[in-house]
Amino acid sequence: MLLLYNTLCLWGLTVRINFKLIISGVLFTLSSNAFAQFNIFTCEPEYAALAKELAPDARIYSATTAMQDPHQVQARPSLIAKMRQADLVVCAGAELEVGWLPMLQMKAANAKVRNTDLGLFFAADHVETLDKMSNVDRSMGDVHSQGNPHLHFSPPRILAIAKALTEKLIQLDSDNSRDYQQQLERFSSRWTLASAKWQEAASKLSGMKVIAYHSSFRYLFDFSGIEQVADLEPKPGLPPTSGHLAGLLKQANNSDITAIVIASYQDKRGANWLAEKSNLPVIVLPLSVGGNEQSNDLFSLYDNVFDLLSQEYSAKKL
Amino acid sequence: MNNFHFFPNRLSAKVSAALAITALVPMLSQAQNSMPTLSNPNVSVILDGYYQSEDRLMTERAEGFGLGETELALSANIDDMFYGKFTSVFESHDGESEVHLEEAFIQTMALPNGFTVRGGRFLSDIGYLNNQHSHTDSFTSRPSAYRAFLGGHYFDDGLRVSYIAPTDTYWLMGAEVFSGDSLRAADEHGERDFDSTGVYTAFTKIGGDIGVESSWQLGFSYLRNENGQLTAEDHDEDEHEEEEHAEDEHDHAHSASYTGKNTYAADFVFKWAPNGNYKYQHLTLSAEYFRVSDFMLPELHDEHEEEHEHEEEHHDEGHAKDYHEAWYVSGVYQFSPNWSAGLRYGELDSQLQHEEHFDQQELKETELSLAWHNSHFSTVRLEFSHQSNVGFEQAENDNVITLQYVMSLGAHGAHQF
Repeated sequence: MLLLYNTLCLWGLTVRINFKLIISGVLFTLSSNAFAQFNIFTCEPEYAALAKELAPDARIYSATTAMQDPHQVQARPSLIAKMRQADLVVCAGAELEVGWLPMLQMKAANAKVRNTDLGLFFAADHVETLDKMSNVDRSMGDVHSQGNPHLHFSPPRILAIAKALTEKLIQLDSDNSRDYQQQLERFSSRWTLASAKWQEAASKLSGMKVIAYHSSFRYLFDFSGIEQVADLEPKPGLPPTSGHLAGLLKQANNSDITAIVIASYQDKRGANWLAEKSNLPVIVLPLSVGGNEQSNDLFSLYDNVFDLLSQEYSAKKL
Repeated sequence: MNNFHFFPNRLSAKVSAALAITALVPMLSQAQNSMPTLSNPNVSVILDGYYQSEDRLMTERAEGFGLGETELALSANIDDMFYGKFTSVFESHDGESEVHLEEAFIQTMALPNGFTVRGGRFLSDIGYLNNQHSHTDSFTSRPSAYRAFLGGHYFDDGLRVSYIAPTDTYWLMGAEVFSGDSLRAADEHGERDFDSTGVYTAFTKIGGDIGVESSWQLGFSYLRNENGQLTAEDHDEDEHEEEEHAEDEHDHAHSASYTGKNTYAADFVFKWAPNGNYKYQHLTLSAEYFRVSDFMLPELHDEHEEEHEHEEEHHDEGHAKDYHEAWYVSGVYQFSPNWSAGLRYGELDSQLQHEEHFDQQELKETELSLAWHNSHFSTVRLEFSHQSNVGFEQAENDNVITLQYVMSLGAHGAHQF
């Protein structure tokens, strides 16, 4: 009888200990995931890279990779789950994500990231965009009235966005404001230094003529004085057609175009066909961080893009 | 205060209609230019027209030329707490036009801890397809499971509470209460005392990614229908009812053809795109299973059992079950931004009340669809479907060809997964 009682007691003790373990385990998981770490959800990998520079301790998740078209993203379960937990959502804005971000916000039921007064940040709100249009019609294709949203290849704009994003981080997480300020200073000085180097590389590219796919590199070309003489897309967002490519071939044969430029996520078939017929090289530029092996952060992304363009342009000039 | 009656009563209706239209026109033109605001809501119109070579069972599309779900939708954030949406649907079949309200709901946007409340008229979140608008479908008609048990898609007046867990794996839970009018069992004599709040649902969905290329979602739903059970039919009105049934199918295209007390559903979706890039190629596989049980009132059930035994003694065929079930599997592949193709197969296994016993019915459908997309906003679809059935009145085993366009203008809402 006593033995049985002892056994029961021991069993009860074990159960209690295990229960405590479970409770503390759950609490620990909750605190480490939901409370302690600042959660940043970015729409594109360039903003994940920027967030990493400015808030290295945050938990950062990017909804897309450089191999994916940021216009066309599925409002998939994993993204809803990630946005549900976010303290801050960072996106390009200017309607780039209009086809999926509102659905994610609706489904994620996270009031913190619903509008830009709180934890929503649109990069395009803080800089001047190029190619704003006063009158947009669907027959023009997939154009954005608020200007070109592919902002991230403009060194001065990235700096302005970094400053605004730091302000947002401080607004939301004021306890760490000194850290954010320090990170911004560190980033700014590195970026300014690198920008001088990129400016020099860009000046050598001035006057280069390319055929490109979509307006993905509008800001890069603007910064470098590269002229996009034609687009592989007949209209923004529409895939190349054979008729349109034939027209481009004529144009390619009659002018001093250096290369065909496409982004890492874009279909290579149209570009390869045109390259074969016109003897022009195809340059596949990383759309963003992670677009090729060399592009691991914003700095190496820029370095790599200028390397790739300079190689072709100097080869052409020789 | 008579001075304030500027317009005679008859005129004022017309005038206010005209005012509404003039108010709508600038909204339509502004809708694309800037983000929607209170004074500038999202306005969208879906145009859907078709030609179909034959009639199909339980579909809203009839033989010949017709309009599918042509919808006008307005939506906007009402303030920082509420979002609202209004969707009206215009349909035409057999030369008759119908206008009905598919959505008119408000939804909370700022409740804490992942809770959302939606009230008004809206699409129920049971199953996979039900909460999606039919213009996003890859086939011209919903699978037979939806047509038979939910009247195509189930929308109703009610309330929903949903909760999304703060986990890396998507986990949604929700419950709904509806009036349930469109899911009421047939009531030949109009003398049944139906519950005014007839439908209760509960659902959960989980989902996630597998690497960067694949995503999945799994859902389970339960629907309890207090008014779903059948009453006994009278013998002598036999022929009458046959006619009534036929009429019913046209009059209440949005009512369920088969109802029961308990409905269980499971759904699974898998999507894949190379590198997770949906611009060029992607694949969607989906499957759903529905089981509707307890479709008879208990006293009828006993009779049915007797009848059943009786039947077995005399002839071996007619082996009626005490539940309806239906399922489908579908695969859709977009092989270029301009072209996509889909294949779907579905079966419906239902029991039709006939005097005091139930006759087993079976419908098998295979659909092959090919769609051309000039852009995200315009689709022209050609569909071949083959239906073979046992036990359905006025239905032949047919090959049906449907040619359909679905186009959207104005602000276009984001698609669901």
